[in-house]
Amino acid sequence: MVKLKYVERPKLSLLEKLLFLDFIKGLKVTFKNLIRKTITTKYPYEKLTPPKRFRGTHAHRVKDGNEPPSFSVLEKFMDINTGESRCVACYMCQQACPMPSLFRIEAVQLPNGKKKVVRFDMNLLNCLYCGLCVDACPVDCLIMTDIYETAKYQRESCVIHMDDMSERGKDFDRRRLKEPDRIWIDDQERIKLWGQIKWS
Amino acid sequence: MEMLATVIGVVIKSVIFIVGMFLAAAYLTLIERKFAGHVQQRPGPLHVGYHGLLQPIADALKVLTKEDLVPNNVDKVLFYLASLMAFVPAIMILAVVPFGDPFTIFGIEIKPFITDLNIGLILALAFGSISIYGVIFAGWASNSKYPMIGGLRKAAVLIGYEVALGFAMVGPIMMAGSFSLREIVQAQEGFFGAFIWYQPIAFIVILFAILAETGRTPFDVQEAEAELVSGYNTEYSGMKFGLFPLAEWYIGTFVLSAIAVILFFGGWKGPHIFGVLSPFIWFFLKVFMMFMFFLWVHWTLPRYRVDQITEIAWKVMLPLSLLNIFITAIIIIVKG
Repeated sequence: MVKLKYVERPKLSLLEKLLFLDFIKGLKVTFKNLIRKTITTKYPYEKLTPPKRFRGTHAHRVKDGNEPPSFSVLEKFMDINTGESRCVACYMCQQACPMPSLFRIEAVQLPNGKKKVVRFDMNLLNCLYCGLCVDACPVDCLIMTDIYETAKYQRESCVIHMDDMSERGKDFDRRRLKEPDRIWIDDQERIKLWGQIKWS
Repeated sequence: MEMLATVIGVVIKSVIFIVGMFLAAAYLTLIERKFAGHVQQRPGPLHVGYHGLLQPIADALKVLTKEDLVPNNVDKVLFYLASLMAFVPAIMILAVVPFGDPFTIFGIEIKPFITDLNIGLILALAFGSISIYGVIFAGWASNSKYPMIGGLRKAAVLIGYEVALGFAMVGPIMMAGSFSLREIVQAQEGFFGAFIWYQPIAFIVILFAILAETGRTPFDVQEAEAELVSGYNTEYSGMKFGLFPLAEWYIGTFVLSAIAVILFFGGWKGPHIFGVLSPFIWFFLKVFMMFMFFLWVHWTLPRYRVDQITEIAWKVMLPLSLLNIFITAIIIIVKG
Protein backbone atom coordinates (compact mmCIF):
# COMPACT_ATOMS: atom_id res chain seq x y z
CA MET A 1 0.00 0.00 0.00
CA VAL A 2 1.45 3.28 -1.05
CA LYS A 3 1.15 6.07 1.43
CA LEU A 4 0.04 9.28 -0.21
CA LYS A 5 0.95 12.61 1.24
CA TYR A 6 -1.32 15.46 0.36
CA VAL A 7 0.21 18.90 0.23
CA GLU A 8 -1.99 21.97 0.35
CA ARG A 9 -1.18 24.53 -2.28
CA PRO A 10 -0.35 27.88 -0.75
CA LYS A 11 -3.38 30.13 -0.88
CA LEU A 12 -3.07 33.50 -2.59
CA SER A 13 -3.65 36.54 -0.46
CA LEU A 14 -6.42 38.96 -1.42
CA LEU A 15 -3.95 41.54 -2.70
CA GLU A 16 -2.29 38.96 -4.91
CA LYS A 17 -5.68 37.91 -6.27
CA LEU A 18 -6.83 41.45 -7.00
CA LEU A 19 -3.69 42.82 -8.60
CA PHE A 20 -2.55 39.65 -10.46
CA LEU A 21 0.80 39.85 -8.67
CA ASP A 22 1.80 36.37 -9.82
CA PHE A 23 1.13 37.29 -13.44
CA ILE A 24 3.20 40.43 -13.04
CA LYS A 25 6.08 38.43 -11.59
CA GLY A 26 5.97 36.13 -14.60
CA LEU A 27 5.77 39.03 -17.03
CA LYS A 28 8.80 40.54 -15.32
CA VAL A 29 10.81 37.37 -15.87
CA THR A 30 9.97 37.21 -19.57
CA PHE A 31 10.76 40.88 -20.03
CA LYS A 32 14.14 40.43 -18.36
CA ASN A 33 14.90 37.60 -20.76
CA LEU A 34 13.63 39.64 -23.70
CA ILE A 35 16.27 42.31 -23.25
CA ARG A 36 19.09 39.88 -22.50
CA LYS A 37 21.61 38.97 -25.16
CA THR A 38 20.87 35.84 -27.14
CA ILE A 39 23.06 32.85 -26.33
CA THR A 40 22.71 30.94 -29.57
CA THR A 41 25.40 30.08 -32.11
CA LYS A 42 24.56 30.87 -35.73
CA TYR A 43 25.63 27.39 -36.69
CA PRO A 44 26.62 27.18 -40.31
CA TYR A 45 28.40 30.53 -39.98
CA GLU A 46 29.79 30.19 -36.47
CA LYS A 47 31.11 26.90 -35.21
CA LEU A 48 31.91 26.14 -31.61
CA THR A 49 35.08 24.24 -30.82
CA PRO A 50 33.93 21.25 -28.79
CA PRO A 51 35.63 20.28 -25.55
CA LYS A 52 38.84 18.28 -25.83
CA ARG A 53 37.08 15.23 -24.41
CA PHE A 54 34.37 15.42 -27.08
CA ARG A 55 33.53 12.07 -28.62
CA GLY A 56 33.59 12.77 -32.32
CA THR A 57 34.94 10.92 -35.34
CA HIS A 58 37.63 8.36 -34.52
CA ALA A 59 41.31 8.80 -35.27
CA HIS A 60 44.60 6.97 -34.80
CA ARG A 61 47.52 8.42 -32.93
CA VAL A 62 50.79 7.90 -34.82
CA LYS A 63 54.20 6.74 -33.65
CA ASP A 64 55.83 10.02 -32.65
CA GLY A 65 57.77 9.38 -29.47
CA ASN A 66 54.97 10.07 -27.01
CA GLU A 67 53.87 6.47 -26.76
CA PRO A 68 52.90 4.89 -23.41
CA PRO A 69 55.26 2.23 -21.99
CA SER A 70 53.00 -0.57 -23.17
CA PHE A 71 53.79 0.37 -26.74
CA SER A 72 57.54 0.01 -26.32
CA VAL A 73 56.96 -3.57 -25.13
CA LEU A 74 55.00 -4.42 -28.25
CA GLU A 75 57.03 -2.28 -30.62
CA LYS A 76 59.73 -4.84 -31.33
CA PHE A 77 57.17 -7.28 -32.72
CA MET A 78 55.61 -4.68 -35.00
CA ASP A 79 56.54 -3.20 -38.36
CA ILE A 80 55.68 0.46 -37.69
CA ASN A 81 57.66 3.44 -38.97
CA THR A 82 57.60 6.85 -37.33
CA GLY A 83 54.58 8.79 -38.52
CA GLU A 84 52.46 5.71 -39.09
CA SER A 85 49.51 4.56 -37.03
CA ARG A 86 50.65 2.94 -33.81
CA CYS A 87 47.87 0.32 -33.96
CA VAL A 88 49.09 -3.12 -32.93
CA ALA A 89 45.94 -5.00 -34.08
CA CYS A 90 45.18 -6.38 -30.62
CA TYR A 91 41.41 -6.36 -31.32
CA MET A 92 40.74 -4.89 -27.86
CA CYS A 93 38.59 -2.17 -29.40
CA GLN A 94 36.50 -4.74 -31.20
CA GLN A 95 36.14 -6.74 -27.98
CA ALA A 96 34.95 -3.69 -26.09
CA CYS A 97 32.59 -2.50 -28.78
CA PRO A 98 28.85 -3.04 -28.24
CA MET A 99 28.54 -3.50 -32.02
CA PRO A 100 31.71 -5.47 -32.84
CA SER A 101 30.88 -5.95 -36.51
CA LEU A 102 31.59 -2.33 -37.29
CA PHE A 103 35.34 -3.06 -37.07
CA ARG A 104 37.28 -4.69 -39.90
CA ILE A 105 40.83 -5.24 -38.63
CA GLU A 106 43.36 -7.35 -40.48
CA ALA A 107 47.06 -7.91 -39.81
CA VAL A 108 49.64 -10.02 -41.66
CA GLN A 109 53.00 -11.48 -40.74
CA LEU A 110 55.83 -10.15 -42.84
CA PRO A 111 58.67 -12.47 -44.03
CA ASN A 112 60.95 -11.03 -41.30
CA GLY A 113 58.47 -12.22 -38.67
CA LYS A 114 57.06 -8.84 -37.76
CA LYS A 115 53.37 -8.03 -37.65
CA LYS A 116 51.88 -5.39 -39.91
CA VAL A 117 48.38 -3.96 -39.68
CA VAL A 118 47.01 -3.82 -43.22
CA ARG A 119 43.45 -2.87 -42.54
CA PHE A 120 41.62 -0.96 -39.86
CA ASP A 121 38.16 0.07 -41.07
CA MET A 122 35.31 1.32 -38.98
CA ASN A 123 31.74 1.59 -40.25
CA LEU A 124 30.63 4.71 -38.39
CA LEU A 125 27.03 4.21 -39.48
CA ASN A 126 26.80 1.56 -36.77
CA CYS A 127 28.84 3.46 -34.21
CA LEU A 128 27.11 4.93 -31.20
CA TYR A 129 30.12 6.98 -30.09
CA CYS A 130 30.22 5.48 -26.61
CA GLY A 131 34.02 5.64 -26.43
CA LEU A 132 34.53 2.13 -25.02
CA CYS A 133 36.99 1.33 -27.82
CA VAL A 134 39.08 4.33 -26.84
CA ASP A 135 39.20 3.17 -23.22
CA ALA A 136 40.17 -0.32 -24.30
CA CYS A 137 43.11 0.66 -26.51
CA PRO A 138 46.30 -0.48 -24.72
CA VAL A 139 48.70 1.70 -26.73
CA ASP A 140 46.68 4.94 -26.67
CA CYS A 141 46.23 4.65 -30.42
CA LEU A 142 42.51 4.87 -31.06
CA ILE A 143 41.16 8.24 -29.95
CA MET A 144 38.08 10.31 -30.60
CA THR A 145 38.49 13.78 -32.06
CA ASP A 146 36.42 16.92 -31.89
CA ILE A 147 35.02 16.51 -35.42
CA TYR A 148 31.25 16.36 -35.21
CA GLU A 149 30.12 16.99 -38.79
CA THR A 150 29.86 13.37 -39.91
CA ALA A 151 27.16 13.66 -42.57
CA LYS A 152 28.12 12.20 -45.93
CA TYR A 153 26.50 11.89 -49.34
CA GLN A 154 27.18 8.17 -49.74
CA ARG A 155 26.84 5.44 -47.18
CA GLU A 156 30.24 4.09 -48.29
CA SER A 157 31.85 7.38 -47.29
CA CYS A 158 30.90 6.73 -43.67
CA VAL A 159 33.46 3.90 -43.46
CA ILE A 160 36.76 5.33 -42.25
CA HIS A 161 40.12 3.75 -43.02
CA MET A 162 43.47 3.58 -41.29
CA ASP A 163 45.21 6.20 -43.45
CA ASP A 164 42.69 8.97 -42.98
CA MET A 165 42.40 8.05 -39.30
CA SER A 166 46.13 8.57 -38.74
CA GLU A 167 45.98 11.83 -40.71
CA ARG A 168 43.10 12.96 -38.50
CA GLY A 169 45.00 11.90 -35.41
CA LYS A 170 48.05 13.92 -36.44
CA ASP A 171 45.86 16.92 -37.10
CA PHE A 172 44.03 16.56 -33.78
CA ASP A 173 47.24 16.22 -31.77
CA ARG A 174 48.75 19.21 -33.53
CA ARG A 175 45.71 21.29 -32.63
CA ARG A 176 44.76 20.14 -29.18
CA LEU A 177 47.37 17.89 -27.55
CA LYS A 178 48.81 20.59 -25.31
CA GLU A 179 45.46 22.10 -24.43
CA PRO A 180 44.41 22.00 -20.75
CA ASP A 181 41.40 19.85 -19.97
CA ARG A 182 38.51 22.27 -19.81
CA ILE A 183 34.95 22.23 -21.05
CA TRP A 184 34.71 25.13 -23.48
CA ILE A 185 37.33 27.49 -24.79
CA ASP A 186 35.40 30.44 -23.44
CA ASP A 187 34.62 28.92 -20.04
CA GLN A 188 35.21 32.19 -18.22
CA GLU A 189 32.66 34.08 -20.37
CA ARG A 190 30.17 31.27 -20.02
CA ILE A 191 30.47 31.39 -16.24
CA LYS A 192 29.62 35.07 -16.43
CA LEU A 193 26.62 34.26 -18.61
CA TRP A 194 25.25 31.24 -16.78
CA GLY A 195 26.64 31.60 -13.27
CA GLN A 196 28.55 28.94 -11.44
CA ILE A 197 27.46 26.23 -9.05
CA LYS A 198 28.83 26.66 -5.54
CA TRP A 199 30.25 23.35 -4.33
CA SER A 200 29.91 22.82 -0.59
CA MET B 1 -23.85 58.56 -60.13
CA GLU B 2 -23.25 59.40 -56.51
CA MET B 3 -24.26 55.87 -55.64
CA LEU B 4 -21.67 54.50 -58.06
CA ALA B 5 -18.97 56.74 -56.60
CA THR B 6 -19.80 55.52 -53.11
CA VAL B 7 -19.69 51.88 -54.21
CA ILE B 8 -16.38 52.35 -55.98
CA GLY B 9 -14.97 54.17 -52.98
CA VAL B 10 -16.05 51.42 -50.60
CA VAL B 11 -14.67 48.72 -52.89
CA ILE B 12 -11.31 50.47 -53.17
CA LYS B 13 -11.16 50.99 -49.43
CA SER B 14 -12.10 47.34 -48.79
CA VAL B 15 -9.39 46.13 -51.13
CA ILE B 16 -6.86 48.39 -49.43
CA PHE B 17 -7.96 47.17 -46.00
CA ILE B 18 -7.87 43.48 -46.95
CA VAL B 19 -4.52 43.65 -48.73
CA GLY B 20 -3.09 45.81 -45.96
CA MET B 21 -4.36 43.39 -43.33
CA PHE B 22 -2.85 40.44 -45.21
CA LEU B 23 0.55 42.12 -45.36
CA ALA B 24 0.27 43.29 -41.77
CA ALA B 25 -0.66 39.79 -40.63
CA ALA B 26 2.31 38.36 -42.53
CA TYR B 27 4.65 40.74 -40.76
CA LEU B 28 2.91 40.20 -37.41
CA THR B 29 4.06 36.58 -37.72
CA LEU B 30 7.61 37.86 -38.01
CA ILE B 31 7.15 40.11 -34.98
CA GLU B 32 5.74 37.23 -32.99
CA ARG B 33 8.58 34.91 -33.98
CA LYS B 34 11.18 37.51 -33.14
CA PHE B 35 9.50 38.23 -29.81
CA ALA B 36 9.15 34.57 -28.93
CA GLY B 37 12.75 33.99 -29.88
CA HIS B 38 14.14 36.76 -27.76
CA VAL B 39 12.03 35.75 -24.77
CA GLN B 40 13.76 32.37 -25.02
CA GLN B 41 17.14 34.01 -25.64
CA ARG B 42 17.39 32.99 -29.27
CA PRO B 43 17.33 35.46 -32.16
CA GLY B 44 14.41 34.08 -34.20
CA PRO B 45 14.38 34.26 -38.03
CA LEU B 46 17.72 35.67 -39.11
CA HIS B 47 18.87 34.59 -42.53
CA VAL B 48 16.13 35.43 -45.05
CA GLY B 49 16.74 39.09 -45.63
CA TYR B 50 18.13 41.47 -43.05
CA HIS B 51 17.29 39.92 -39.66
CA GLY B 52 14.62 37.79 -41.34
CA LEU B 53 12.70 40.65 -42.92
CA LEU B 54 11.75 38.55 -45.96
CA GLN B 55 10.85 35.50 -43.87
CA PRO B 56 7.05 36.08 -44.09
CA ILE B 57 7.27 36.10 -47.89
CA ALA B 58 9.27 32.88 -47.87
CA ASP B 59 6.73 31.36 -45.49
CA ALA B 60 3.84 32.43 -47.68
CA LEU B 61 5.49 30.91 -50.76
CA LYS B 62 6.15 27.71 -48.87
CA VAL B 63 2.61 27.41 -47.53
CA LEU B 64 1.07 28.20 -50.92
CA THR B 65 3.14 25.63 -52.79
CA LYS B 66 2.57 22.83 -50.29
CA GLU B 67 0.45 19.89 -51.31
CA ASP B 68 -3.15 20.54 -50.34
CA LEU B 69 -4.07 17.24 -48.76
CA VAL B 70 -7.70 16.39 -47.99
CA PRO B 71 -8.13 13.15 -46.03
CA ASN B 72 -10.65 10.63 -47.38
CA ASN B 73 -13.09 10.48 -44.53
CA VAL B 74 -13.60 14.16 -43.84
CA ASP B 75 -16.86 16.02 -44.30
CA LYS B 76 -15.76 17.75 -47.49
CA VAL B 77 -18.10 20.74 -47.40
CA LEU B 78 -17.43 21.67 -43.79
CA PHE B 79 -13.74 20.90 -44.18
CA TYR B 80 -13.37 23.46 -46.95
CA LEU B 81 -15.76 25.87 -45.28
CA ALA B 82 -14.03 25.82 -41.91
CA SER B 83 -10.84 27.63 -42.88
CA LEU B 84 -12.88 30.30 -44.67
CA MET B 85 -15.27 30.53 -41.74
CA ALA B 86 -12.34 31.24 -39.47
CA PHE B 87 -10.67 33.71 -41.80
CA VAL B 88 -13.37 35.80 -43.48
CA PRO B 89 -15.32 36.97 -40.41
CA ALA B 90 -12.07 37.81 -38.63
CA ILE B 91 -11.09 40.16 -41.43
CA MET B 92 -14.66 41.49 -41.76
CA ILE B 93 -14.48 43.06 -38.31
CA LEU B 94 -12.26 45.63 -40.00
CA ALA B 95 -15.34 46.96 -41.79
CA VAL B 96 -16.49 48.74 -38.66
CA VAL B 97 -13.11 49.72 -37.21
CA PRO B 98 -12.47 53.44 -37.74
CA PHE B 99 -8.84 54.47 -38.21
CA GLY B 100 -9.36 58.21 -37.91
CA ASP B 101 -11.58 61.20 -38.54
CA PRO B 102 -12.58 62.05 -42.11
CA PHE B 103 -10.01 64.32 -43.75
CA THR B 104 -9.62 66.06 -47.10
CA ILE B 105 -6.83 65.54 -49.62
CA PHE B 106 -6.91 67.31 -53.06
CA GLY B 107 -10.49 68.34 -52.47
CA ILE B 108 -11.74 64.78 -51.93
CA GLU B 109 -13.11 63.89 -48.54
CA ILE B 110 -11.62 60.57 -47.44
CA LYS B 111 -13.17 58.59 -44.63
CA PRO B 112 -10.60 56.20 -43.14
CA PHE B 113 -13.24 53.61 -42.31
CA ILE B 114 -15.48 51.45 -44.48
CA THR B 115 -18.79 51.93 -42.71
CA ASP B 116 -19.84 53.82 -39.61
CA LEU B 117 -22.66 51.60 -38.43
CA ASN B 118 -24.65 52.61 -35.41
CA ILE B 119 -24.36 48.99 -34.21
CA GLY B 120 -20.68 48.64 -35.08
CA LEU B 121 -19.65 47.08 -31.80
CA ILE B 122 -22.36 44.44 -31.95
CA LEU B 123 -21.34 43.64 -35.50
CA ALA B 124 -17.73 43.20 -34.38
CA LEU B 125 -18.85 40.91 -31.56
CA ALA B 126 -21.00 38.88 -33.94
CA PHE B 127 -18.23 38.43 -36.51
CA GLY B 128 -15.83 37.49 -33.75
CA SER B 129 -18.22 34.75 -32.66
CA ILE B 130 -18.81 33.50 -36.21
CA SER B 131 -15.06 33.22 -36.59
CA ILE B 132 -15.08 30.66 -33.78
CA TYR B 133 -17.40 28.46 -35.86
CA GLY B 134 -14.45 27.89 -38.16
CA VAL B 135 -12.60 26.22 -35.32
CA ILE B 136 -15.58 24.13 -34.29
CA PHE B 137 -16.36 23.11 -37.90
CA ALA B 138 -12.73 22.18 -38.45
CA GLY B 139 -12.83 20.02 -35.35
CA TRP B 140 -16.01 18.28 -36.44
CA ALA B 141 -15.29 17.93 -40.15
CA SER B 142 -11.80 16.47 -39.72
CA ASN B 143 -13.30 13.17 -38.48
CA SER B 144 -10.33 12.59 -36.20
CA LYS B 145 -10.04 12.51 -32.44
CA TYR B 146 -7.61 15.34 -31.72
CA PRO B 147 -9.34 17.97 -33.87
CA MET B 148 -12.63 16.83 -32.39
CA ILE B 149 -11.39 17.37 -28.84
CA GLY B 150 -9.92 20.72 -29.83
CA GLY B 151 -13.13 21.91 -31.43
CA LEU B 152 -15.25 20.80 -28.49
CA ARG B 153 -12.90 22.52 -26.05
CA LYS B 154 -13.19 25.74 -28.01
CA ALA B 155 -16.97 25.40 -27.98
CA ALA B 156 -16.92 24.91 -24.21
CA VAL B 157 -14.71 27.93 -23.69
CA LEU B 158 -16.75 30.01 -26.13
CA ILE B 159 -19.88 29.72 -23.98
CA GLY B 160 -17.97 31.08 -21.01
CA TYR B 161 -16.14 34.10 -22.36
CA GLU B 162 -18.71 35.37 -24.88
CA VAL B 163 -21.14 36.29 -22.11
CA ALA B 164 -18.50 38.09 -20.07
CA LEU B 165 -17.19 39.87 -23.18
CA GLY B 166 -20.64 41.13 -24.13
CA PHE B 167 -21.40 42.41 -20.65
CA ALA B 168 -17.96 44.00 -20.23
CA MET B 169 -18.45 46.03 -23.40
CA VAL B 170 -21.63 47.49 -21.95
CA GLY B 171 -19.63 49.75 -19.59
CA PRO B 172 -17.90 51.87 -22.29
CA ILE B 173 -21.09 51.79 -24.36
CA MET B 174 -23.06 53.28 -21.46
CA MET B 175 -20.47 56.00 -20.95
CA ALA B 176 -20.39 56.88 -24.65
CA GLY B 177 -24.11 56.43 -25.16
CA SER B 178 -23.59 54.76 -28.54
CA PHE B 179 -22.72 51.47 -30.22
CA SER B 180 -20.88 53.23 -33.01
CA LEU B 181 -17.13 52.82 -32.61
CA ARG B 182 -16.54 56.30 -34.02
CA GLU B 183 -18.82 57.92 -31.47
CA ILE B 184 -17.22 55.92 -28.66
CA VAL B 185 -13.86 57.38 -29.66
CA GLN B 186 -15.30 60.86 -29.88
CA ALA B 187 -16.72 60.52 -26.36
CA GLN B 188 -13.16 60.16 -24.99
CA GLU B 189 -11.59 63.59 -24.79
CA GLY B 190 -8.02 64.15 -23.67
CA PHE B 191 -5.67 61.95 -21.70
CA PHE B 192 -7.94 61.53 -18.68
CA GLY B 193 -10.99 61.15 -20.85
CA ALA B 194 -9.92 57.69 -21.98
CA PHE B 195 -12.31 55.06 -20.63
CA ILE B 196 -9.50 53.00 -19.13
CA TRP B 197 -9.52 55.36 -16.13
CA TYR B 198 -13.24 54.79 -15.55
CA GLN B 199 -13.60 51.18 -16.61
CA PRO B 200 -10.56 49.24 -15.36
CA ILE B 201 -12.66 46.20 -14.44
CA ALA B 202 -14.24 46.05 -17.88
CA PHE B 203 -10.77 46.33 -19.38
CA ILE B 204 -9.50 43.32 -17.44
CA VAL B 205 -12.55 41.28 -18.41
CA ILE B 206 -12.06 42.22 -22.07
CA LEU B 207 -8.38 41.30 -21.92
CA PHE B 208 -9.42 37.90 -20.61
CA ALA B 209 -12.07 37.52 -23.30
CA ILE B 210 -9.75 38.55 -26.14
CA LEU B 211 -7.10 36.07 -25.00
CA ALA B 212 -9.76 33.37 -24.89
CA GLU B 213 -11.32 34.32 -28.23
CA THR B 214 -8.06 34.43 -30.15
CA GLY B 215 -6.81 31.26 -28.47
CA ARG B 216 -3.60 32.79 -27.19
CA THR B 217 -1.65 30.93 -24.64
CA PRO B 218 -3.18 31.02 -21.24
CA PHE B 219 -6.36 29.87 -22.99
CA ASP B 220 -5.09 28.04 -26.07
CA VAL B 221 -6.97 24.87 -25.15
CA GLN B 222 -8.15 24.29 -28.70
CA GLU B 223 -4.71 23.59 -30.09
CA ALA B 224 -2.80 22.66 -26.93
CA GLU B 225 0.16 21.22 -28.80
CA ALA B 226 1.38 19.22 -25.83
CA GLU B 227 -1.88 17.33 -25.45
CA LEU B 228 -3.69 17.42 -28.81
CA VAL B 229 -1.29 17.08 -31.70
CA SER B 230 -2.09 20.44 -33.17
CA GLY B 231 -5.68 20.70 -32.05
CA TYR B 232 -8.42 21.56 -34.48
CA ASN B 233 -6.12 22.02 -37.49
CA THR B 234 -4.29 18.69 -37.24
CA GLU B 235 -5.78 17.33 -40.48
CA TYR B 236 -5.22 20.49 -42.50
CA SER B 237 -2.35 21.22 -44.82
CA GLY B 238 -1.20 23.88 -47.24
CA MET B 239 -2.89 27.26 -47.25
CA LYS B 240 -6.05 25.86 -45.64
CA PHE B 241 -3.87 25.25 -42.60
CA GLY B 242 -2.10 28.58 -42.97
CA LEU B 243 -5.36 30.51 -42.77
CA PHE B 244 -6.14 29.26 -39.26
CA PRO B 245 -3.22 30.74 -37.32
CA LEU B 246 -3.34 33.79 -39.60
CA ALA B 247 -6.99 34.35 -38.73
CA GLU B 248 -6.84 33.48 -35.06
CA TRP B 249 -3.45 34.56 -33.82
CA TYR B 250 -2.74 37.54 -36.02
CA ILE B 251 -5.79 39.08 -37.68
CA GLY B 252 -8.07 38.18 -34.77
CA THR B 253 -5.70 39.50 -32.15
CA PHE B 254 -4.90 42.60 -34.17
CA VAL B 255 -8.51 43.51 -34.86
CA LEU B 256 -9.66 42.81 -31.34
CA SER B 257 -6.72 44.87 -30.04
CA ALA B 258 -7.99 47.65 -32.27
CA ILE B 259 -11.44 47.33 -30.72
CA ALA B 260 -9.99 47.32 -27.20
CA VAL B 261 -7.95 50.41 -28.08
CA ILE B 262 -11.06 52.14 -29.39
CA LEU B 263 -13.07 51.22 -26.31
CA PHE B 264 -10.49 52.10 -23.68
CA PHE B 265 -7.57 54.12 -25.04
CA GLY B 266 -9.30 56.77 -27.11
CA GLY B 267 -8.70 55.25 -30.55
CA TRP B 268 -6.80 57.64 -32.80
CA LYS B 269 -6.84 60.53 -30.30
CA GLY B 270 -3.46 61.87 -29.27
CA PRO B 271 -1.32 65.00 -29.44
CA HIS B 272 -0.98 66.33 -33.01
CA ILE B 273 2.76 65.95 -33.22
CA PHE B 274 3.01 63.98 -36.47
CA GLY B 275 1.06 66.42 -38.65
CA VAL B 276 -1.63 65.03 -40.96
CA LEU B 277 -0.75 61.40 -40.24
CA SER B 278 -1.02 61.92 -36.49
CA PRO B 279 -4.31 60.00 -35.95
CA PHE B 280 -3.11 56.98 -37.91
CA ILE B 281 0.21 56.90 -36.16
CA TRP B 282 -1.39 57.15 -32.74
CA PHE B 283 -3.93 54.49 -33.58
CA PHE B 284 -1.44 52.00 -34.95
CA LEU B 285 0.99 52.72 -32.13
CA LYS B 286 -1.68 51.95 -29.56
CA VAL B 287 -2.86 48.82 -31.38
CA PHE B 288 0.73 47.68 -31.75
CA MET B 289 1.39 48.17 -28.03
CA MET B 290 -1.76 46.21 -27.26
CA PHE B 291 -0.70 43.44 -29.65
CA MET B 292 2.73 43.31 -28.05
CA PHE B 293 1.08 43.02 -24.66
CA PHE B 294 -0.86 39.99 -25.87
CA LEU B 295 2.37 38.49 -27.21
CA TRP B 296 4.02 39.16 -23.88
CA VAL B 297 1.25 37.38 -21.99
CA HIS B 298 1.28 34.57 -24.55
CA TRP B 299 4.95 33.82 -24.08
CA THR B 300 4.79 34.10 -20.29
CA LEU B 301 1.87 32.13 -18.93
CA PRO B 302 1.24 28.38 -18.93
CA ARG B 303 -2.00 26.88 -20.24
CA TYR B 304 -5.19 26.75 -18.20
CA ARG B 305 -7.50 23.75 -18.19
CA VAL B 306 -10.91 24.03 -19.85
CA ASP B 307 -12.73 23.72 -16.54
CA GLN B 308 -10.54 26.44 -15.05
CA ILE B 309 -11.28 28.78 -17.94
CA THR B 310 -15.03 28.24 -17.76
CA GLU B 311 -14.85 28.60 -13.99
CA ILE B 312 -13.03 31.93 -14.26
CA ALA B 313 -15.40 33.07 -16.97
CA TRP B 314 -18.61 32.24 -15.14
CA LYS B 315 -17.60 32.73 -11.51
CA VAL B 316 -15.22 35.69 -11.72
CA MET B 317 -15.44 37.57 -14.99
CA LEU B 318 -19.23 37.53 -15.45
CA PRO B 319 -20.00 38.84 -11.91
CA LEU B 320 -17.22 41.41 -12.31
CA SER B 321 -18.66 42.72 -15.56
CA LEU B 322 -22.18 42.80 -14.09
CA LEU B 323 -20.81 44.69 -11.08
CA ASN B 324 -19.09 47.07 -13.47
CA ILE B 325 -22.38 47.75 -15.28
CA PHE B 326 -24.13 48.33 -11.95
CA ILE B 327 -21.52 50.80 -10.67
CA THR B 328 -21.35 52.61 -14.01
CA ALA B 329 -25.12 52.92 -14.13
CA ILE B 330 -25.30 54.35 -10.57
CA ILE B 331 -22.53 56.87 -11.30
CA ILE B 332 -24.20 57.94 -14.54
CA ILE B 333 -27.53 58.40 -12.74
CA VAL B 334 -25.95 60.33 -9.85
CA LYS B 335 -23.87 62.58 -12.11
CA GLY B 336 -26.71 62.98 -14.54
